[in-house]
Parts: sequence; structure tokens; C-alpha cells
Amino acid sequence: MISKLQKTIRPVWAVRGLHKSAVEVLRHPAPEDTVTASFGKFISEVKPQHLSSVVLHRSKRMVLDSIGVGVIGSTTDVFELALQHCQHMYAPDDISSVYGRRGTRLSPTLAAFVNGVATHSMDFDDTWHPATHPSGAVLPAVLALSDMMSANSKPSGLDFLLAFNIGIEIQGRLMRFSNEAHNIPKRFHPPSVVGTMGSAAACARLLSLDPSQCSHALAIATSLSGAPMANAATQSKPLHIGNASRLGLEAALLASRGLEASSLVLDSVTGVAGFNAFYEDYVPQPLELSNDDGHMFLLEEQDMGFKRFPAHLGMHWVADAAASVHKILVGFGPGTVSPAQVQDILLRVPKSKYINRPFPDSEHEARHSFQFNACSALLDGEVTVQSFTPAAIRRPDLLALLSRVRMEHPQDNPANFNSMYGEVQVTLVGGDILKGRCDTFYGHWRNPLTNESLRKKFRNNAGAVLPSEKVERLIDVVEELDRLGDCRALLSQLQ
Amino acid sequence: MLRKGITESFGAAIHAFNTTQLTDGVINRSKRMMLDTLGVGLLGTRTAVFNKALTYSQLFMSHESSSVWGKSEVNLPPHYAAFVNGIAVHSMDFDDTWHPATHPSGAVLPALLALAETLPSQPSGLDLLLAFNVGIEVQGRLMRFSREAYNIPERFHPPSVVGVMGSAAASAKLLGLSPAQCTNALAIAASSAGAPLANAATQTKPLHIGNAARRGLEAAQLAQRGLKGNPAILDMNCGFGVYYKDYSPSAMAVPASSDFKWILEDQDVAFKRIPAHLGMHWVVDAALAARAKLENSVRNFDLSQIRNVTLRVPPSKYVDCPFPATEHQARHSFQFNASSALLDNKVTVSSFSETQINRPALKELLSKVKVETPKDNLPSFDKMYCEVEMETDQGQRYVARCDTFYGHWRKPLSQKDLVEKFSVNASSVLCTEGVEGVIDVTGNIERVRECSILGSYLRMTSSQHEQLYSTRSW
Repeated sequence: MISKLQKTIRPVWAVRGLHKSAVEVLRHPAPEDTVTASFGKFISEVKPQHLSSVVLHRSKRMVLDSIGVGVIGSTTDVFELALQHCQHMYAPDDISSVYGRRGTRLSPTLAAFVNGVATHSMDFDDTWHPATHPSGAVLPAVLALSDMMSANSKPSGLDFLLAFNIGIEIQGRLMRFSNEAHNIPKRFHPPSVVGTMGSAAACARLLSLDPSQCSHALAIATSLSGAPMANAATQSKPLHIGNASRLGLEAALLASRGLEASSLVLDSVTGVAGFNAFYEDYVPQPLELSNDDGHMFLLEEQDMGFKRFPAHLGMHWVADAAASVHKILVGFGPGTVSPAQVQDILLRVPKSKYINRPFPDSEHEARHSFQFNACSALLDGEVTVQSFTPAAIRRPDLLALLSRVRMEHPQDNPANFNSMYGEVQVTLVGGDILKGRCDTFYGHWRNPLTNESLRKKFRNNAGAVLPSEKVERLIDVVEELDRLGDCRALLSQLQ
Repeated sequence: MLRKGITESFGAAIHAFNTTQLTDGVINRSKRMMLDTLGVGLLGTRTAVFNKALTYSQLFMSHESSSVWGKSEVNLPPHYAAFVNGIAVHSMDFDDTWHPATHPSGAVLPALLALAETLPSQPSGLDLLLAFNVGIEVQGRLMRFSREAYNIPERFHPPSVVGVMGSAAASAKLLGLSPAQCTNALAIAASSAGAPLANAATQTKPLHIGNAARRGLEAAQLAQRGLKGNPAILDMNCGFGVYYKDYSPSAMAVPASSDFKWILEDQDVAFKRIPAHLGMHWVVDAALAARAKLENSVRNFDLSQIRNVTLRVPPSKYVDCPFPATEHQARHSFQFNASSALLDNKVTVSSFSETQINRPALKELLSKVKVETPKDNLPSFDKMYCEVEMETDQGQRYVARCDTFYGHWRKPLSQKDLVEKFSVNASSVLCTEGVEGVIDVTGNIERVRECSILGSYLRMTSSQHEQLYSTRSW
């Protein structure tokens, strides 16, 4: 047994750069004292009663929104491609449902994959701070796994919701280990880093793994994490969420079979990178369950952002700013805005290469273009699902406006979803200058969508594919989720 | 976004490669790699990690399936066959190693063989050989984009970075994808790259190779279906460059003529004699030499006479493990491998079993070992050395140094020894006909009409209980 002296040395492990080779050679931290072990313990031991009413409420909104965007996502090309790939490479399996496709079922990890792809296919899914898209990585896996569990041991709605919240919580905790995570990403696409871990955590909980297995699930998932930003704004981006969901589930299943991995994967070990491989700065903290009934889930301190239109979160600021200019312009003269009126458009936005695209070529690029979204909103007064169709992207009026856009990156506009703003300044041909500014768009966590607005978005999305009775039933079931004895009521409505 | 066309040059090159570019030199070397990979893979099908992966993989069903090496009755969906066979290859850390450091073959061959089985028209042995070499070449090219890649890794495990790209390239080649599709295969694969080093020295490490094989194959198939990724993935720092601290990519010339210079021709691989991290080979050879010196000068040599042992090795945290608790840690421990060599006068496949790891005599020896990392000992498989110095109770010192172990690219295994390593490995699983069949087919692969014949030999298991690891000492 390692002596009590260990405990005084332990905190030192978490701080990088400290020369401690002599200590390292002789000792290891007691297994239960590591950050990695604390995460495993939390996943295994947190209880449903730790979910406060705020967290229950907020997470149910996330579940509803995620299903809605997933269902409408089942109409996209990339989803079709992913589904056909799975159906071609694998035999049909009667297990886990595919969003929006009546009668189509796949093996659990494959269903998690395609449903995850659907969820992120239009960049319509939720966004958190620090930045990631948390639900799309977790919900498809939890649904698929629930489908897999035998009929007489399906999770209750509360178990389901707890697993989901664990998946979200783990992501939030991991992102707080680095300053880098707080800004709009430049290197690794966050859902591919923390999403896989969240999925693994949620699935480990649903599988009732013990603390050690939960830790191993996280460690196995780490080796499956990490995709470069360069594939954002391409057709491959949705696969980042699909794979996060799938591979996290896979990690949990492998852990349940006894596969083991590094027991220090979340800790910071000099010379051997673990989860910190994905970050330039990294200071891990143990995740502790307090002795009393309370655990403050991060979702309680930090709410979720929901999108009003299917594009990168940053677009919402410029769209709202441009929309206010549109309103003024339309007030001036005829009911539409014409490029002929506009001489120059100046956007003041944060500096971020992958959302700075003057002439987007594809729907994926358009969803990641300050310029495109500003001009769309200027022209139409809003950005919607229809703004990204091939025809809409190629409108001559839009292209005309795009050619008049200039960008500025003010020092006081950081690339951070908590602090950024969007300003649109339009110089009219006559010389008048109109300005619009948005500090907090409607849907941001500081100005959350009302339940009414959230349901409207859901009805528009899910209703594009499912019959309205199923749409309404889903709204009811999710509202009641924590009181459902059996989550099958949810599972049966998704296609 | 500046596109220098590097990624597209790779796509064009992968598409353009044809069999006339295969030189004798590269054919020779790559056949050796194939044989060695199959042998270690077959042996690996008897490991615990392989079995866990196999059980897991059997959850999936498919219309078309591919064989699992060393299992006459098991088939899996092609991706999962690539997955488990890849895991088998790396399960004991017995597979080939290159410079810059990676394990190139395990990421490529399992994917190709699994894919080949599903193709409507069976590829020839030459097709297989070409695709294999494309997969190796791409890995070599990518590693030359950074200085960081030249040293023993600290952040990402190289096979998880370049291996998946090699698998994607090789699979794209075998599928006959267009230049644009080859480019997309690489882009899609890049999103599947990068596993941190912390899982090395654990039971999960072999999955890095298994997943590289599987996900590269998947990337190629998704590209074939029309999925697109970033066509400048290799050009950008926020693309493939994310895996490296310094990153300087360059284009690949389309191999038009028949005198294409393969990297493999310039830089051979190392084959392992011991199922352990490559660094262990230096320390074992040095330890054996030091022990011989001690034995020669002392009558009635007895290990308890050793007072302390000093190992002078390059700095590499993940193979510095004073008291390994598992087989995986033992394979990644300078201390363990040196001590085993000193204790047993050999290190073999059986040195890493649980009983062997837990021997009191070994543990006692381990407690006398200390590690030094001299400044001139660089963490590079091309430049490192190991020195073992023993001090006896009488105060006598015995030192030996190894600069180049037998099996390293500077001192390659003879063909005879390579074939013998294969035979010993494969015989633990296959019957004699299978063993000899694989040797024969691989040795003549460029003349084989349909490479599926290889698959049938790989499943000719012996009905007897497997021979517990050979006692052949190296």
C-alpha cells in the first residue's frame, strides 16, 4: 500500500512543468487519487436525485431540440450517404432506430453514427460555452443503447435523462481544463474531442459499469477522439458528431467487456500525452461528488444556446445585426432590399478563419460564412433553413451583395461565444450609413429561446418528416421524460 | 485559405501509381514486411485483447464478410475484420517499425486483405503488393512533414496519425478510386486520426492499429460513395498539421515514369525479435552482452552477486517503467527487459506472461535497476543506443553497449531468420500446410493470380492445441 505521504504529493501531479522525476520513479499516485479515477467514480455513482429541476428542465429542452434537428437532418445528402454506407457495409439489424426512417434499424453503434450525422448535418444543433455541440454526441448513443437493452430492462425516463446529463456534464468538465477551449476552436473540432468522451460516459452509465470500467471507457474513448478543424465547413463535419456518438458507445461496450486502457488518461503526465494531447494548455481537476445530496451540474450554471437557423453559431450575431438593418431599409422605400441601394457592407466580427468565407461554394461553406449570413439576412430580413438551398446560395442579388463586403476584426471582439458581438454597417449609394449591432442573439444562453419558440422550431423540423401526431407525442413524451417508467415511449416515436 | 495543392497531388499520385513502378528492391522489402506482419498477426489472435475485440465485433452482421486470421470458421464485416486483424498484429508489439517512427504494415495489410475479399473481381498479388506499397509510401511521406515525427513520440501515437492515412490511401488504390476520390479519402481519414500516447503500454494500444486499418478503409469507401472532406487537408495547419507542433508539408510528384523512388527503398524497416517496444531491443542486446562478460570472468556466476544495474537510455517516459504490473507495461519497460535478459539470458515471447512478470527473482533484480538518460542519447530510433552496466558485490563493473540491434534497419534480419520468426509465430495457430502456404504465396506474391489464396492459408488452423510459445532464444 502506498503511504499517506502520497496525498501531499498528489496535487503536484496536476501541475505541469514541475520537475519531479525522482518522485515519479519511486512512486505512482494511488489509483483512487487520480483525476481519471474521480471521473469514473462520478459517472458510476451520481444519482438521479442530484438532478435539480433547472437541470431537468434545461436538458429536456436539449433532448427535444436535438431530436428535431436530427429528424430534419435525415433529409440531407450527407445523412443519406452515411446511411447507405452503413446499410451496404452491414446487414440490417433489428435493433436501433434511425431518425425519420420508418422501419429502418441498424446495429446500435451504426444507428448512433447516422443519427449523429443527421443531428449535425445542417449545423442546426445546440451550442454550449465553452464551445461544443454537446447533445448530438450523446443523445444518439443513449437512444441506440436503450434500443439495445432487453425489453424487460429498458431504462426509465429518469435513468435515460441522467445518463444524458452525465454525457453533457463530462464534456463541460473536460473543456474547463484548458483556456484554449474557451475560444472558438482553431485546431481540433471540439465535438470530436469532448463529444466522444461524453458519449462514452453516458453509455457507461447506462450500462451500469463500475467506477473502474467507467474510467476505462473514458480512456478507450480518448484514443478515438480528435478531428482537425479543417474538415469543418465541409461535408465531413457532421461525421465528427456521428463518430463521437458511435465511438463513445463503442468505447463503453469495449470497457464492459473488460478492455482496459490508461488509468492516467485525464491526468497530466509529462512526456506521455493523454487527453491533454488535444490542448496547448491543460490543467485537470478531479470531479467530486459532494457528500450531501447536491451536485451542481454545469448545465445549471451555464445554459445552452439553441440555433434559430442552421448555421455556425457565430452567424447568428451577424444575421440579427443585418436583420435590423434590413428592417430600417425596408422602412425607407419598397418592401425588398435591392443590391442597387447598397454601396458597401462592413462587418465587424471576431477573427476566425474557418467562418470567414467571402464566396462560399457549397451549403457547408455557406453555413460557415459571416459574409453569406449577413448578406442573406440583409436581403431577406432573416436566415432560415431555405437560405442554404443551392438556388438560394446562387442568387444573383446575393452574389452582388457579397462582392461588396469588407471585414474588420476589432480588438475588442474576441473569438469567444460568450463575449463576441457582430456589427453590420451598410453604406447606401446615397451616402447614408446604417448600422446594426448584436451583442446577444435571440437563442443565445443570455437570451434563451422561450419554450414556445423552441417548440415552434421543433414542429418545423420534426414536422418536415414525421406525421403531426408523432410530433406532438414527442413534445409530450420529452416533457414527461423524467416521470416515465420506461423510455420506450420515446424510442418508438423517432421514425 | 491558401491551397498549395499538396493534398490534390497526393490524390493524383495515389491514383496514378501502377505496377511498373514497383522495383525489385521495394518488392523484396515489402514482401518481407507482409510475411512478418502475417506471422505476428497470427500469433496475436491468441491474445486477450484480440478476443475482446473479436467478441465485440461479432455484434455486427453484414452481407459480405471477410476472414479473421487464424480462425477457420469466423467471418466479420470487412471493417471489423480489418479491425480485429489489425489488433492482432499489434497485440504483442511484435510488428515492424520504421523511421521516422511508426508501425506501418499493421495499419495497411489487414485493411487490404479484408477489402480484397469483398471485391467482385479478385485483385492479383501484384495489385495487392502495389496497394500495400502505396499505403506505406504515403505514411513515409506524411512523417517527413515534421521534425517532431523523427523522434520517439510524446503526444500522439504515430500509427494512429499516419497509419489511418496509409490505410485510406492503400484502400483507395485497391478500389481504383479517381484522383478526387483519393483526395477525399485522405481528408475523411484525417478526421479519424490521432490517438494520444497515454494508451501505449496498455491493452488499448493494439486498437490504435486496428482502428487505423478499419477507419482508413472506411474513409476510402465513404469517398467512393461521394463523401467530401477538405481538399486541402494536408496543406493546412488546422488540417493534418494539428497532429504536429511543426508542420511543413510538400507535394508529391505524380509517379509517371518507371523509376519512382520509393521511400522504402531508401529507408528499410526494422523487424523485432522480441515482442516489445523497439527501444527494448537495444537494452536487451546490451544486457545480454554485459551478462556474457560477467559470466566469462566469474566462475559460478550468480545473479544475486549483482549489486546494482545502470541503464543508459534515451529519455522516453512511456518506456520508463520501473515496476511493470501488466504484460503491456512490461513490453514498454527498459528496466523489465534488461532484467529479463540478465535473469534468463534471453527474452522471448514467453517472457511477458503474468507468471514471468511476477517472479520474485525478477522483482528483486528490478529493484536494483536505475535509469540514466545521457545527453548524447537521443530519443530517435535512428540515433539511440543503450548501455547496461552491472556492478557486483565485489565492486567489479561490467559494461556493454548496443548501438544497433540485430533486426534494426542498419542490421536487417537475414531472410532465413525472418522466415523462421514467421514459422514459429504462425505454427502456434496454423497447421504446417498453412504455414508453408503463406510463406510460399507471400514469397511469390507478384506472380499470384488471385490474392484470395492467401486468405485461405491464413485460416488453415491446426487441430492440435497450439504450441505454447517457442523456446527459441535469440
